[in-house]
Amino acid sequence: MNAVVVLRETSLSVEPFPVVSVGQEVMEGQLLARSAGPGSTNVHSPIPGIVRRIRATVTPEGYESNSILVSLEGSFSVLGKKPERYLWKSLNKADIAHIVQEKGIVRVSSGEPLSEILSERSSRPGFVLVVNALEMDPYRRTEEELLSIRPEDVIDGCAIAARVARPARIVLAVDARLSPEIEGRLKGIIEASELEMSIMSFSRRHPQDMPRQIAESLEIVDQSALFILEPSTLVALHDAVVANKPHIEQYVYVGGGAIKSPAILKARIGAPIGDLIEECGGLVGRPDAIVLGGPFRGRAVADLDASVTRTTQAVLALTSEETKPAPERPCVRCGDCVAVCPEGLDPYSMLKLLRAGRGEAAIAAGLDRCTSCGACAYACRSRIPLVRDFRAARASEALR
Amino acid sequence: MSRDASASLRYPPYIHDWKTSAKAAWICSITLAPVVAWSIVLYGRSAALVWLVSVASALASEAVASGISRRWTLGDGSAALTGLLIATAMPPGVPLYVPALSAAFAVLVVKAAFGGLGANWMNPALAGIAFAYANWPVAMREYVLPRIVAGVDGVSAATPLTFAKGLAGGLDVRIMDSLRGASYPLSSFDSAVTGFLNDSVFSRLGARLPDGYIDLAIGLKPGALGESALIAVLVGSLVLVGLRLIKPVAPIAMVSVFAILARVLGTGLPGEAFLNGDALFSLGGGSVLLVAFYMAADPVSSPVRRRSALVYGAAIGALCFVFRRWGAYSEGAAYSVLVMNVVTPFIEKSASGMTAARARRRSS
Repeated sequence: MNAVVVLRETSLSVEPFPVVSVGQEVMEGQLLARSAGPGSTNVHSPIPGIVRRIRATVTPEGYESNSILVSLEGSFSVLGKKPERYLWKSLNKADIAHIVQEKGIVRVSSGEPLSEILSERSSRPGFVLVVNALEMDPYRRTEEELLSIRPEDVIDGCAIAARVARPARIVLAVDARLSPEIEGRLKGIIEASELEMSIMSFSRRHPQDMPRQIAESLEIVDQSALFILEPSTLVALHDAVVANKPHIEQYVYVGGGAIKSPAILKARIGAPIGDLIEECGGLVGRPDAIVLGGPFRGRAVADLDASVTRTTQAVLALTSEETKPAPERPCVRCGDCVAVCPEGLDPYSMLKLLRAGRGEAAIAAGLDRCTSCGACAYACRSRIPLVRDFRAARASEALR
Repeated sequence: MSRDASASLRYPPYIHDWKTSAKAAWICSITLAPVVAWSIVLYGRSAALVWLVSVASALASEAVASGISRRWTLGDGSAALTGLLIATAMPPGVPLYVPALSAAFAVLVVKAAFGGLGANWMNPALAGIAFAYANWPVAMREYVLPRIVAGVDGVSAATPLTFAKGLAGGLDVRIMDSLRGASYPLSSFDSAVTGFLNDSVFSRLGARLPDGYIDLAIGLKPGALGESALIAVLVGSLVLVGLRLIKPVAPIAMVSVFAILARVLGTGLPGEAFLNGDALFSLGGGSVLLVAFYMAADPVSSPVRRRSALVYGAAIGALCFVFRRWGAYSEGAAYSVLVMNVVTPFIEKSASGMTAARARRRSS
């Protein structure tokens, strides 16, 4: 078993400096690369073994990053053991912030270093901490599942984050169809934790899990007054502070019509997604697309060698019944894109302006407010790649 | 361990809704099947030939256009639908070159010459119908009684609307009674159903449905092929709205405005008075419903946004009423949609101007 650890997990993050050399023996959880400052995090070895290779690779998103290949050697020392349990309540804000930075915890949904966003938040009080357990696409239910398999740790992680960042209040955002049993258990845990936290139900609708949609439901005008963390990030935070564990594991949903038995796996960072698929019984038939992340905002990969990172939330193998491929045709002006846009934009007019070469006018029409949620391109009857075109246009307009 | 997962890298989102423009056109065509079938029951071979020639000509024209533009577009279903819709406006027994040339004009001149699907500024089917009315005004107005009413094929008769136009308005006999007086046959089915409805439903509401409307609804009267099966047209429209393949705003606005105006002012039928127009006859006597749900709702030539579509539909309804009441021809529905097709860019432009002004006010 090998692990290929990608050092730069998003196109916006800064690559850390490797601190190991080829041929060196590393322990599980040993530091592989040290943070290079803002936008960068410590990276640890997910497995015990020998560093075989450090080289530049191209990620599925299309940017370049160094990655470190560790081949398994020796035995697991950290994760196999019964976790240690530190009593974190005696720790102060600075201690916790230090641990979060040391253990290389990132916000799973965005890849930002958690230590940075926590300290940035603590300097601007009066915000609402939202624990976002909403999964509004038809696949992934990892965040919701964590509420039922590790509810204490999620709430504990939330208490740890609250000690550092000091939110005005905390809201746990859950799907309206969450079972009352789990909700009852969560309420009990929240009461025992003495956190000022309320549970709020959201109807299931894509993309209900995005900041503006949540802000609207909470009747908050300024969406920057929200600090959104998802249960998987809180669990990683909890494990770092309570069990001294670096961010070397990740809950990944493996599913889609072409996966034999879909499941939520606790995967090691660096594991090839092919291994995860095999663990779920392998592929049934030929998938039309293998996607990392959600079906709306994820990224297709060309092969099964892509490795799990700290931001990999799902691996989907989609059949053609799910992707419903169809040739691109001219726009028939059906207006479905306008009707579904959650930001209230007019994708039809924006595309028309872009195709007429009027990028500035398209920005003025709201292109800069597009969140690439994919709702318009999902609904488009002519299968026009609206998200691709809008992204490209935003990128080229930003360069001007 | 390099296993090929996907031959082509695509872009997000990776899942899509089931609707495609091609599926929409094909389903729209399929919902017309009952209309086609019923017209063949009513008029036999002459009806079947008109449908066949119209669709074949539209498909052949699309193939020619495909050959010229080197883009194979027959699969998008729009040509077949155009052919079907043109046939709905044809009288049974019309010379076959009329649907053939009209469909060719619609597909080649109105659609392909302006850049094909999505680029046409007029509904091709309606343009084809207008083309037919303009070129063969006599042939397009020669109607026959359905053979299951007349007993034999090809008994000429005016449509109820044309008949009503011929009468001077303001008589005190209602239109249905005038029709009976002019020896338009009344089917026993109509009397049975009307009697049943009156006994069971309307009598309790203190109302009474006169004879003749059921015949109107099931096409037992002279009329164009698509007008014969009002019930089937209604069911097809419900299917389209139910599957959300068409936005109901424009057609509902059109039908409501038309019906209200017909009720309040009357469409110049005998026996009508102010606030006592025969809206039921006006709606059922022509092609208003078919034109509303199958042509005014055509996305390409109607406004994209809902508010503009409301204005567009209401204006069609009003125009349709004007044409029906004061126009020279009894059938103005097709023309009123065509007029509004041309006005669509203007409606959209002024609506977007208003939206932009509102946005500016809000942000300032």
